[in-house]
Amino acid sequence: MSQSTVPRPRPPRTPEEDGGGTAPPRTGRPAGDGPPPARRGRLLRRRDRRPGLPKDDPRLRGGVTLRHRFRRDWALIVMTMPVVLGLLIFAYIPIAGNVIAFYHFSPYNGEGFFDSLANSASAGTYYFERMWNDSYFRAALENTLVFSFLQLVLFFPIPIALALLINSFLHSKVRAWSQAVLYLPHFFSWVLVITVFQQIFGGAGLIAQAGRNAGFAEGFDLMTDPAFFKWLVTAQLIWKDAGWGIIVFLAALSAVNTELYESAAVDGAGRWRRMWHVTLPALRPVIALLLVLQVGNMLSVGMEQYLIQRTAVGPGASEVLDTYVWFVGIERGQFSYAAAVGIVKGIFSLCLVLAANRVAHAMGEAGVYKRS
Amino acid sequence: MPNTRSAPSRRSFLASTAVAAAAVGSAGPLLTACSSDGGSGDGGGPGRVSEKEAEQILPAYQASEFAVQPDIPGQSGSSPGYTSYIEVADLGVSVPEPLAGGTALSAMTPLWGTAPKKGNPYWTAMDEAIGTAMTWQIQDGNTYGDKLGAVLAGSDIPDLVCIPGWEYNKGQIPKAVEQRFADLGPYLSGDKVLKYPNLAAIPTAAWKASIFGGALRGLPMPQQVIGGVVPFYREDIFEQNGWTPPTSADEFLAFAKEITDAGSKRWACEDFKWSAWVYFGVLPEKPMCWREEGGKLVHRYETDAYLEALEWTRKLYEAGVVHPDAVAAAGDATARFTAGESLMMNTGSGVWHGTVSEQLTGGNPDFRMNAMDFFRHDGGDPVLYAGNGAGIWTFLSKDLPEEKILAALELANFCAAPYGTYENRLRDYGVEGTHYTVENGVPVRTPDGEAQAAQVTYGFIASPEVAIAHPDQPKVVEDKCAWEQRMMPFVQEPLFYGRQIQEPDHLANLSDPFEALEDDVVRGRKSLSDMQNAVAEWRRTGGDELRDWYQKLLDEETA
Repeated sequence: MSQSTVPRPRPPRTPEEDGGGTAPPRTGRPAGDGPPPARRGRLLRRRDRRPGLPKDDPRLRGGVTLRHRFRRDWALIVMTMPVVLGLLIFAYIPIAGNVIAFYHFSPYNGEGFFDSLANSASAGTYYFERMWNDSYFRAALENTLVFSFLQLVLFFPIPIALALLINSFLHSKVRAWSQAVLYLPHFFSWVLVITVFQQIFGGAGLIAQAGRNAGFAEGFDLMTDPAFFKWLVTAQLIWKDAGWGIIVFLAALSAVNTELYESAAVDGAGRWRRMWHVTLPALRPVIALLLVLQVGNMLSVGMEQYLIQRTAVGPGASEVLDTYVWFVGIERGQFSYAAAVGIVKGIFSLCLVLAANRVAHAMGEAGVYKRS
Repeated sequence: MPNTRSAPSRRSFLASTAVAAAAVGSAGPLLTACSSDGGSGDGGGPGRVSEKEAEQILPAYQASEFAVQPDIPGQSGSSPGYTSYIEVADLGVSVPEPLAGGTALSAMTPLWGTAPKKGNPYWTAMDEAIGTAMTWQIQDGNTYGDKLGAVLAGSDIPDLVCIPGWEYNKGQIPKAVEQRFADLGPYLSGDKVLKYPNLAAIPTAAWKASIFGGALRGLPMPQQVIGGVVPFYREDIFEQNGWTPPTSADEFLAFAKEITDAGSKRWACEDFKWSAWVYFGVLPEKPMCWREEGGKLVHRYETDAYLEALEWTRKLYEAGVVHPDAVAAAGDATARFTAGESLMMNTGSGVWHGTVSEQLTGGNPDFRMNAMDFFRHDGGDPVLYAGNGAGIWTFLSKDLPEEKILAALELANFCAAPYGTYENRLRDYGVEGTHYTVENGVPVRTPDGEAQAAQVTYGFIASPEVAIAHPDQPKVVEDKCAWEQRMMPFVQEPLFYGRQIQEPDHLANLSDPFEALEDDVVRGRKSLSDMQNAVAEWRRTGGDELRDWYQKLLDEETA
């Protein structure tokens, strides 16, 4: 989760509006996290009453000056500085390097990046046109979207269901144990996961050999069927990462006020009604947030998983955008072309996030960031 | 661990070959299928050298005075074999005095294994004997090409950089080689090389393949003429069942069906595409991928042989005689072969010794493997195309001051000491007592030796002429020498043999989709007509242009 999702109570608009001083948490996050808003409100009010405060003091209009905010938040700002700096150096400044998409760039045109760039001929939109005309690119894009869509539909709900299931175990040992079992596959590398799948579903795997020994038809092999591949990779992903995905949901569940369950039970709500009216609403903000992130990541379905199984089913079934960039850009050293693909991918992803976020807002959720 | 990059690709063969060959200390990896690709300025531009110019650049050849008489002499170009162990006292000394001063040098090399710790006794012993202070920047061999691209694109490159041939032809590496590395001609051309007797004893063919961009830039690791891809069979299992290896394509198919027994987890073979190239006489990869037909150049993709080889391989797949894990390009082919799950496989000959000694010492005492003779698909004499003289090089940064270049050449001279010298023993086995002990007249590595001397580092800097020397496994030496001797008479030199050619930038990536397409065709996902369409497309999008380019090259040469 990004920092911006942490709900921070806004400073009270005016002293009058700040009724009882208990601003409700905006996103259903449990109260108790973060500084209690009430006290700050009261403090401000007391100060406001001080005589001699100029009429146009921003605090009177409900704002807080930059200086005050800094004084209030400096510790938080210092804490985030390393991350901001890291982002700046490793994410934002390198974005400028995308300029090579408009040149026939080679690092060997000169000494150092800038000299090389100066010696590279301008390419205009050549690489973008080439990308558009490349049937391999379009196939990779199509595969990527299909895989992403399947992940969204099949993978996404599973961690939620698992979290609800685990949450319903009362015995803490059983809970801890089942959590551990579910997490574990996440730490396997893709090579290992695919080897395990090969050993079970491959042409010489457990099922195929059992079938042969039982005299069933030859040729059971799920690992080399291009048509089945999209289901296969989704299944692999579920096996590997569904358990890991429940962590966030479990955290959200643990924060649900138990009194709500008790009151609901007193009112005669059964197990399912409690889940529907208490648990799920508590999870809603987290679900919305993760959904937005997932949609924003639609063009990055992963890389190693597809790279390893490329020969088994062929690039026609397995090439995704990331492996395409890998082969065309990195393996063949066409950096400018790879940058062009990267730019298009980045812009498209940004649009997806913005669109998904809008939908989240429309549904009354905070999404990735809040509108101010 | 299975190769993370999937599939029996050309690269994985060659990588395994290089590791194994270098690790067991026989001279060089025995690559053929790939070897040199590309190598100088674009067009018929300044990077190319004519035969005449090459003669002026090439170092003189002078046989080493320390060369030991081989137990199995080479015949018509096959490699010499050594089955007997030479005591330390009887070894020749080709570098009597270490270099003074302990010059500091940094080197980047690939490694398929665990990098030894800094300051380990093996590196210390080597540094002291040579007179250098090496800093090794060791990178994982499986992803070496990616690191290489990044390191060379930067401005601060190591003093010495090793580049394997299968990484060379990728992307902008040829440009990088020309731009970043020193011309060694002023130090080694002609008789100048005699200052470094071990370098002078490297065969001229290896030096010829080390001319990049019109200048002698590479320090070569010589490779054998054949052996990049060798079909192997399980000799022990074949003998038990009274089978003999097939001698024609049809016989192979029928035989494979007969010996496959999927119910008891036994398949006839692994992927056999690479041997099929030879069975059907398909031309090698670029730049040696052309043949003259009626005064016109014909590309490997345009030949019938190419399609026939694919069709035959496809039949193997269809018949279900290929191990399913090989169909899925998963796991380790050699492991399936040694476990008896597949009975025939093709791979680089470099893994031969390592596989055998691993099995025999690792609880599989009856294990025997041997190389199958190549045949022409109809049972006649095969055609084997010769590989270039060198397949792995180490380059010197062009920013090195002269005294460091001289020190680096002394280092290379030490590393290229031939079999039968003290330097060669130290390089391959380390110090007696610390890294190996002699038991029953054969050297046996200690755990320290395995962790330090067996992890190739100095071996990449330069290597002597190829020699098959495994006193611990004499049968491997005998089998390998015998196979080479049987196959050498069928070796031919293809067009554009023996040197580096760099295709023009905009045509250099033209054949990239073909390896994946071949895999699609043999696995039945695409048809032969899809392949024919791809070839037509290839012609249209630059193949014909490439043909003209090569034709011009050929005309200039013969003119």
